[in-house]
Amino acid sequence: MKLFAQTQLLEDVQGKGLCVGCGACVDLCPYFTTYRGKTAMLFPCDRETGRCFAYCPKAEVDYDEVYKARTGRAFDGTPIGPHLETYKAKAGEKTAECTFQCGGTVTALISCALDNKMISGAVLTDSEGRMPKPRLVRTSEQARDCAGSKYSASPTLSVLNREAKRGVRNMGVVATPCQALAISQMKMNPTDKPDFEDPVSLVIGLFCTWALDARKLEALLAEKGIEGKIIKADVPPPPAEVFVVETDQGTVEIPLSEVREIIPEGCSICPDMTSELADVSVGQVEGEAGFNTLIIRTQKGAELVKTAISQGYLVTENLEGDKIHNLATASANKKKRALAKAKEMGLLNTPDEEGRAAMRVSEGALNKIQP
Amino acid sequence: MGTATLTKDPYNLIITGVGGQGNVLASRVLGNLLADQGFSITIGETFGASQRGGSVMSHMRISAGESWSPQIPQGQADMVVALEPIEALRVLHTYGHPGVKVISNTRSIYPVGVISGDNKYPSMDELKTIIEDLTESVWFINATDAAMKLGNPIFGNIMMVGALAKTGVLPIDRDGFEKVMLRTMGEKKTPVNLKAFDMGAEMIT
Amino acid sequence: MSQLYEGKKGEKVLFMGNQAIARGALEAGVSVAAGYPGTPSSEIIENLADVSKEANMYVEWSANEKIAVEVAAAASFAGLRSMCTMKQNGVNVASDFLLHLVLSGTRGGMVLVPCDDPGALSSINEGEARHFAKLLEIPLLEAGDFQEAKDMLKWAFELSEEIHNLVMFRSVTRLSHASGSVELGEIPHTEPQAKFVNNGFILDPLEGPIVSAPVGYKHGLQQDKLKKAEELFEESPFNTYVGPENPEILLITSSGATLYSREAIHLCNAKDKVGLLKLGTTFPLPSKLIAKHLKTTDKVLVVEEVLPFMEENLKVLAQELAPEVGQKTFYGKRSGNIPMTGELNPDLVATALATLLGDAYSPQDQEYQTKAAQQVFFNAPVRDLTFCPGCPHRASFWSIHNVLAADNREGFVCGDIGCYSMAFLPSGFSTLKTLHAMGSGTGVASGFGKLGQFGLDQPVVSVCGDSTFFHSGIPALVNAIHHKSDITMVILDNSGTGMTGFQSHPGLPVDAQGNESPALDIPTICRALGATVEVCDPFYPYKTQQTFHKLLEAPGAKVLVLRQICALSPEKKGKKQFEMSVDEDVCLGENCGCNKLCTRVFRCPGLRWDEEKKVATIDEVICAGCGMCAAICPSGAITRKEVA
Repeated sequence: MKLFAQTQLLEDVQGKGLCVGCGACVDLCPYFTTYRGKTAMLFPCDRETGRCFAYCPKAEVDYDEVYKARTGRAFDGTPIGPHLETYKAKAGEKTAECTFQCGGTVTALISCALDNKMISGAVLTDSEGRMPKPRLVRTSEQARDCAGSKYSASPTLSVLNREAKRGVRNMGVVATPCQALAISQMKMNPTDKPDFEDPVSLVIGLFCTWALDARKLEALLAEKGIEGKIIKADVPPPPAEVFVVETDQGTVEIPLSEVREIIPEGCSICPDMTSELADVSVGQVEGEAGFNTLIIRTQKGAELVKTAISQGYLVTENLEGDKIHNLATASANKKKRALAKAKEMGLLNTPDEEGRAAMRVSEGALNKIQP
Repeated sequence: MGTATLTKDPYNLIITGVGGQGNVLASRVLGNLLADQGFSITIGETFGASQRGGSVMSHMRISAGESWSPQIPQGQADMVVALEPIEALRVLHTYGHPGVKVISNTRSIYPVGVISGDNKYPSMDELKTIIEDLTESVWFINATDAAMKLGNPIFGNIMMVGALAKTGVLPIDRDGFEKVMLRTMGEKKTPVNLKAFDMGAEMIT
Repeated sequence: MSQLYEGKKGEKVLFMGNQAIARGALEAGVSVAAGYPGTPSSEIIENLADVSKEANMYVEWSANEKIAVEVAAAASFAGLRSMCTMKQNGVNVASDFLLHLVLSGTRGGMVLVPCDDPGALSSINEGEARHFAKLLEIPLLEAGDFQEAKDMLKWAFELSEEIHNLVMFRSVTRLSHASGSVELGEIPHTEPQAKFVNNGFILDPLEGPIVSAPVGYKHGLQQDKLKKAEELFEESPFNTYVGPENPEILLITSSGATLYSREAIHLCNAKDKVGLLKLGTTFPLPSKLIAKHLKTTDKVLVVEEVLPFMEENLKVLAQELAPEVGQKTFYGKRSGNIPMTGELNPDLVATALATLLGDAYSPQDQEYQTKAAQQVFFNAPVRDLTFCPGCPHRASFWSIHNVLAADNREGFVCGDIGCYSMAFLPSGFSTLKTLHAMGSGTGVASGFGKLGQFGLDQPVVSVCGDSTFFHSGIPALVNAIHHKSDITMVILDNSGTGMTGFQSHPGLPVDAQGNESPALDIPTICRALGATVEVCDPFYPYKTQQTFHKLLEAPGAKVLVLRQICALSPEKKGKKQFEMSVDEDVCLGENCGCNKLCTRVFRCPGLRWDEEKKVATIDEVICAGCGMCAAICPSGAITRKEVA
């Protein structure tokens, strides 16, 4: 991993508009903060290496190195990444009724992990008005309050950093792919801190095609005259081409073309749709509301799922072959698009003399993805 | 007019330091002390914005004759009393000459650029060597630390006045100082200031 | 007891220029003095206020300079002697009233004392009040030393009463803030009676109503008064000449430049060649006296600060006198011999003089100078201005900066005059982006706040001190509220006029003379005007920032009052609220996670960076114990303990 610090981070990420506001650089130090969905620098820091750069999912990410450290295998470009099993899943009877995006699998797994003291707390994303508001929850009741997809990019990792600084360990995190990547880099202790302790023991990854800029989404909703409390937002499968916002005052559809305008540029170079670096990944099942796709990636993930099923938090079924195939196709397409875009921007495997890269992947993976 | 005489007329004295060190008070006290001897005194001062962490300077012209300009011409200071050591050096640059004398406090006050790490502050040993090289005679005293023992660093300025008296370069003494203190500070504050004056004088050997 | 009032006639004392001016006022039997604080003028009112009870005077710090002149004018209208003081900028503020006053004329002697600041030692411009004397068509007096400062000021009242109009007595920093020997005169013990007589004939200057109309008539009358002053100036003892009968160069000077010129002649050893004509009455110029001296030479060097005011008036006069005195060659600012900007000193004048005499002036031993210059360059780090240790402004700007940065919409701050002006420097985190006159920050912000129509989407913030709020901040806020301008005005209330030495203002429970006074509450005023108002203590940055964020999001004109008393205030000075300490084991120092935030970024003078141990330390000599560094330390290494 090539290590730099704030100066280069500002140049490479903020300066190129690639910041997705994941919060990985926030609250590690007094120099980065997040406000209303945007990451901001407060003061310049003249250090030559820093965790802000090391953790950032958009700055000098060596995919082989990260995948090896996290999964024991190099990054080979497989569509849905390293995994053990795939299922369809939904919340079981023990997970109380609340509004889920799909099947409530994430809430079920987090509740199970909290109730069984497998984690000391979970970093989740709640809402404050129309802004995502990450927080650390300690109980399954609190976890249920955070249920439902947010669709806007959230600085979730800022809370992880803050709580880690306060000494909280053994945390669970519900993370988007970029956040799972940042956490994986964090776990590698890239700056060789002598007193480093990994504060994260469980990562539940979310499927993600893109997120929306929180401030721009707020402005777009205002522009569309959408008032009231947002209950749910969704992008139905093609050929719908709309963004559906369900509020307590009714449902509104916004053309997807308008919504695409407010996707952060950084999402366009993200090759991961299924949170490949998580312990388990959860997303939609195409064409089947009320269920989630569940990908078990690690032994820890497998144990959690097993416990959740046995204690009635979760119900699973087999995932049909065509659905796995469709997921793999969509995932492979995202990889292809992202690498092509990064290449076009000069950010893929950039030679040292030409500057720094956003991502470095092996020749083998490139051949497989064919950007 | 008293019987006191000056070694040079006008005798040019600069008191320098950092805003808040009591530069102005020291120059007033000295000015009054010398005015009581019948000398014509002019003091030029910088204060206002400079008080906010900046360098401050009082120019004192002491003469048996007429009033002189409140700004000493370049290269014509006879004595520099510095409440802060790099301020002594700064003053020497503009107003010094090979025959100048200096009494300098050794307690540094870091400029904000030094605190922030943008600039370096030389070591006291380096500073002493540099100032010695630019002066005919020099006395270094740790007035601030002594003043802290009296309970407040602000007494450093009066210690410098006591030290100046002890060097004998100007016709000023303890009795005259006491008179000025009683008149300007009142009876209550005079004893501690006399103590500071004496402590300053003791530091000149 | 103060020599200012107790000093006896004939006694010789060491006075600061401003004390000499105050004593002059006492010797003139002034009854009313009003002013607005501003360096270098402030000590005049302060000194008079101190003795006001013994001297049976009324002395006030007015809300602004225009009001100060109006208050003093009332006393004059009622037959009393009155005076008003201010720094150069104050005359700009007062000029609207002044232009009317000089037409209506005065009764009791009235003197306007502006103190200019050549070189802008404590100002952000070096504008001059002298030009107003010409604009206002009133006599201008300028003292050449401390004795004159007292004597001339006293005479100014007599002159004012003789011509029934305002007289300007202009001082400069190097007179007001310098000290010299002054021989005292008598203070009269009279009991002046105030009575405003106004029922006489409209054109009766002593018994009619005091109005500036009819303008044509009054203007003519005003110019007659000026003519009379010029006649009196011809014989004035404040215009003196020293030098040979037929000097090679006639040096004409005035004010603070007199002492520089005198010393320059000495430095050039040119007493036999250069004549020094020092003018105390600089407008209108006494033409007969000038003619007499112009006849003695061909070369004239004019030395003054800052602009060529006297030089240009002299040239006009010399042209008129040319048939009588012949054509003269003038040297000065327009010829490039004397700088057009900044303050003068003996060296600059000596350099000009030596050039004209065909000599070179080299003030310093070159070898010594070079050596010293090198040592200063390498070993004397510059001392930039900064907020004092414990200053609430540092804390306020910390929060303002951080909120605007976090908000991330390129918000900016418009500033004005006070210690907080320094916030354009790194010590204020370079937060101020515009800086102009008193109250202008909010006025300018009010304008920015209306540019949304043209696409300006940056948050607009203004800062204003408590004294400035009363001086000129209120009308600017009124404007912003009425026009629904989207601004957040931050009132930095440090409970006094901090920059100039803690003078009172209408927000304080005490006046200039120390009387108990009703304190006007700033938040109440702002709420009454219709603004959303929040009050925070800047030493609690978390709450302050949360509140500021909230205000920044809201539309219209909002006010955040950041209230914390100045560290130099008499109540607080020297008293530490907290004993600060650094836990060396916890301090992250240069490591990732801190990187010297407290010293490198926060930059309080009370902190030091220990280069050997690589930790922050507290400089106990400097630290004021405000506790703010504990609030910003990211690792909790700095702790505070309440001082019992």
